[in-house]
Amino acid sequence: MAVSDIGASDIVETVPSALIVLDRNLIITSANRAFYQTFRTSADKTEGCNIYDLGNRQWDIPALRTLLESVIPHRASVEGFEVEHDFPTIGRRTMLVNARKIFRPGDHDGSILLAIEDVSEERAARQESKRSWQLTQSIVDTIRDPLVVLESDMTIVTASKAFLTIFGITEAETHGRRVSELGQHQWDVPALRHLMEKVLPENKPIESFEIEDNFPGLGRRVFNLNARKISQPGNHAHRMLLVFEDITDRKQRERDVVSLTNEISHRIKNNLQVIVGLIAYEAKWTAAPCVQGYKAMQARIGAIAQLYDLISQSSRGRTVAVDAYLREIAKGISASLIGNMSGIKIEVKAEPLEIDPDRAVPFGLLVNELATNAIKHAFPHGTGHLMLSVEKIGDQIELIVADDGVGMKDEGAAKVPEKRGSDYVAIFVRQLGGTIATSGSEGTGTIVRIRLPLLLVPPGGADRLAA
Amino acid sequence: MAVILVVEDEVFTRQIAEMMIQDWGHDTLSASDADEALAFLRSAQHIDALFTDIYLKDSVLGGCELAHQAIELRPKLRVLYTTGNFVTEKMKALFVAGTKCLRKPYTQDQLQDSVEALLAA
Repeated sequence: MAVSDIGASDIVETVPSALIVLDRNLIITSANRAFYQTFRTSADKTEGCNIYDLGNRQWDIPALRTLLESVIPHRASVEGFEVEHDFPTIGRRTMLVNARKIFRPGDHDGSILLAIEDVSEERAARQESKRSWQLTQSIVDTIRDPLVVLESDMTIVTASKAFLTIFGITEAETHGRRVSELGQHQWDVPALRHLMEKVLPENKPIESFEIEDNFPGLGRRVFNLNARKISQPGNHAHRMLLVFEDITDRKQRERDVVSLTNEISHRIKNNLQVIVGLIAYEAKWTAAPCVQGYKAMQARIGAIAQLYDLISQSSRGRTVAVDAYLREIAKGISASLIGNMSGIKIEVKAEPLEIDPDRAVPFGLLVNELATNAIKHAFPHGTGHLMLSVEKIGDQIELIVADDGVGMKDEGAAKVPEKRGSDYVAIFVRQLGGTIATSGSEGTGTIVRIRLPLLLVPPGGADRLAA
Repeated sequence: MAVILVVEDEVFTRQIAEMMIQDWGHDTLSASDADEALAFLRSAQHIDALFTDIYLKDSVLGGCELAHQAIELRPKLRVLYTTGNFVTEKMKALFVAGTKCLRKPYTQDQLQDSVEALLAA
């Protein structure tokens, strides 16, 4: 069957809108099924009735009278005429009425077709949405950080009072515009745009995107931008909330701390350079057998300076990441001691553990001393493998310094410099409250195992410092 | 034998560095700031390498600026930096391409290794 084969009465009975036909005296000549269902009435109670008398005069509505008696006589059709009324049978309803004059051949008086659509629920939802939007806006306006809500095309739906005040923009200037177009285009940053484009489709929030620029009336400012997807239950449209956190003061404090730390570090390092220089000058006039001792002294001062570098980024309450720290120490030893002895490889195996900054220096000196000793004495042919490892065993940290070198000949016959080195090792182990065990024999390499108390910070107690 | 321009505002440190370098058979030129160094660099004096501290008097990155000016004057000049500060990536980005930095405190062995590598490059 083709659409053209469908009769007008079939269509009338199928459409969801309530339809009624009135004659020139406003007597109902017919109504469709949707009308009877919507207004809980029937054909026999409806047809032949004056519309105002219908259902105990519940249709005698001033707005409807206006439509039928004042508007329709002068116009061929009316669309979207809104009538709100309390019906005794169905309660308060908002109806959208379309009216059209119909003339049939020979009928000069004509009839009036009224199409009545019940839009009560839609109006209620719209009202609710308006109320909730007003509530949201009032919450938004109380938040001190500037924020904007964006459509999926990145245009601004609303901006908080704080946003308008801080950036000196009027509400009208924000509507329909993109954030990147505002002000002097400070927010027009490709990396930010790229991240913002992912917030809605991939539900990927933006966390702390930093922008530093000169803002008119504000001067140089640093803002942290955070964005996330927001959606209303039952609504498929998603929007983005973009919050601007002014971190200028915090940033300045951090920069001051870094600047002060660098200044102190610079002074300390220069003073240590003077000490190393004094030793170098003394070594110049010292008999050859003693030069090695002076050089060892310089190397230890260098090790302290290097350890200081590694932990100087640490502020009070923070910890030092042992794994990263050990790798840096190994890198330093490789650079300073091996020199052209490139046949010695240093390997680091470390669990992600943390150590208190106060213990980081003796720990680093201990590793430095053991590794230096191994490199000096275990590999007379300039080739070999040295392994530094740290792992958690129970409530202790085990530090292992193992080499595959020539091994120990006779512990009792240690030469003076070696004896001094092992004295230092013993002192550092004692300072850290640990124990030491050495194993290995001639030709099998040496393994030094040191057990130290676990110096972890309480969970969540401090930020981890990647040394 | 090479001629090395040593730029260091700390007199004792500069003297000791020069002493070490001379002990290895090289000649040194001594400058306490960028202006003194540039005077040598603008002269006809033969110079093989520049060994400069990064923090020069009041200029936190004075050595970095000096090295760039030096390379403009003498494109083939070798450059070695030294600093007591933590060498950040931002600082490294200011280095003349292909150069290295010797961190303070450096021993005579470390300085010797660095200078030999610099002159051999």
